[in-house]
Amino acid sequence: MKTITVTVNGTSYEESVPERMLLVDFLRDRLALTGTHVGCTYEGVCGACTVHLDGEAVKSCMMLAVQADGHAVTTVEGLAGADGPGPLQRAFSNSHGLQCGFCTPGILMNMSDFLARHPDPSDEEIRSGLVGNLCRCTGYVHIVRAVREAAREMREGASGVQA
Amino acid sequence: MYPSVIEEYLRPGSVSEALAAIARYDEGEAMFLAGGQSAMQAMKSRMLRPQCVVDLQDVAELRGIVHDNGALRIGAMTRYVDIAGETTLDGAFGALRDAAAHVGDRQVRNRGTIGGSVCWNYVASCMPAVVLGLGGTLELAAADGGTRRLDADDFFLGPLETARREDEILLAVSWPAPAARSGSAYKKWGLVRDALPVVGVCITVTLGDDGHCTQARVALSGLAGGCQRAPAGEELLRGGNGDTAALARAMDAIADSVETHSDMSADADYRRQLIRSIGSEVAATAFARARGG
Repeated sequence: MKTITVTVNGTSYEESVPERMLLVDFLRDRLALTGTHVGCTYEGVCGACTVHLDGEAVKSCMMLAVQADGHAVTTVEGLAGADGPGPLQRAFSNSHGLQCGFCTPGILMNMSDFLARHPDPSDEEIRSGLVGNLCRCTGYVHIVRAVREAAREMREGASGVQA
Repeated sequence: MYPSVIEEYLRPGSVSEALAAIARYDEGEAMFLAGGQSAMQAMKSRMLRPQCVVDLQDVAELRGIVHDNGALRIGAMTRYVDIAGETTLDGAFGALRDAAAHVGDRQVRNRGTIGGSVCWNYVASCMPAVVLGLGGTLELAAADGGTRRLDADDFFLGPLETARREDEILLAVSWPAPAARSGSAYKKWGLVRDALPVVGVCITVTLGDDGHCTQARVALSGLAGGCQRAPAGEELLRGGNGDTAALARAMDAIADSVETHSDMSADADYRRQLIRSIGSEVAATAFARARGG
């Protein structure tokens, strides 16, 4: 067991964890942040467990929890602002960017990082950005549309608006 | 898919601390963890069952891309995202960006490293073939203070095998200043966008004053034998001026000379066709970059 200190969605947690515990299980089982999903039995292929590590999208099944010691993690629970869902979340709702919703947390976390670095992406760039996230319902058309809509709203909106 | 019990997790802050940590364990009991985008998979499938994981994330001296009078040194812990975004990697080093920009997906590129990839040396991976095709030098350090530099040709021994001893750490991959009019390129084909290479081709060429090729290196990924040079094609590229017919002849020679295999992704004949198709395109790009275009 190892004691780690991880800041998750702005709150610092000190927990004793087995060295082999995956970050995704730490988030779900220890912190009860079950918005981060396990879609492919930890095989690293579905992207549903995507979170931000120090602001960058990573798959939380591809890391040990102990590797996050001293780092800041943001999960989908931390995505909304004080005044409710941000533009990316609203765009997924408005553009019907989900059906069953299982993949959605990972896609939101990946795309919020993506849009922060690519504020005016082409559809081609959006599709390339989505390679690491599997959706088995939508065929991605509405997801791409939602990301495009979010990008437009974020560009037009006041600066400093959270994705 | 879950790692077996890990007894100790260490996060050294320097290369010497990392080497001291690994030296405390018997061979096979401790392992370095770089970006983890291959190693975590191997740990979860129990292919690797380390007692001790030595995480290299805090070893700052292993990170970074440094140009020095044309020479290039890329620290082992430099991530794909950093290589893909490094616009100075063009011309002779263009293949590095070609490959890094399309490894896996964004999330993988945010964690995965060039050093982790070449030390793992998986058959269906890009970086080993790129380092081989670019003729890189692998800088290794050992706990006893010894260091050695290996040519890529001597480093990659076969699938999942390299010349790195378990008590050694890969510091960097480096290159001397390339000859004038050198260019390189890499491309792969996989089942979906940015997937593991079913076949990948890396080509480096150097052109003489008259525009004819004086030096050529070709390396392939995705073959069962592991990343490998293709001397039959290199020989045909040398002396040529990069016209389409000559490039096609060189790729035909490669396709006919290497051993390809059949699996669920592609059969052996299709792999040969991929070598011809991708190879011709990659060669044309390498020639264009060598000309400065």
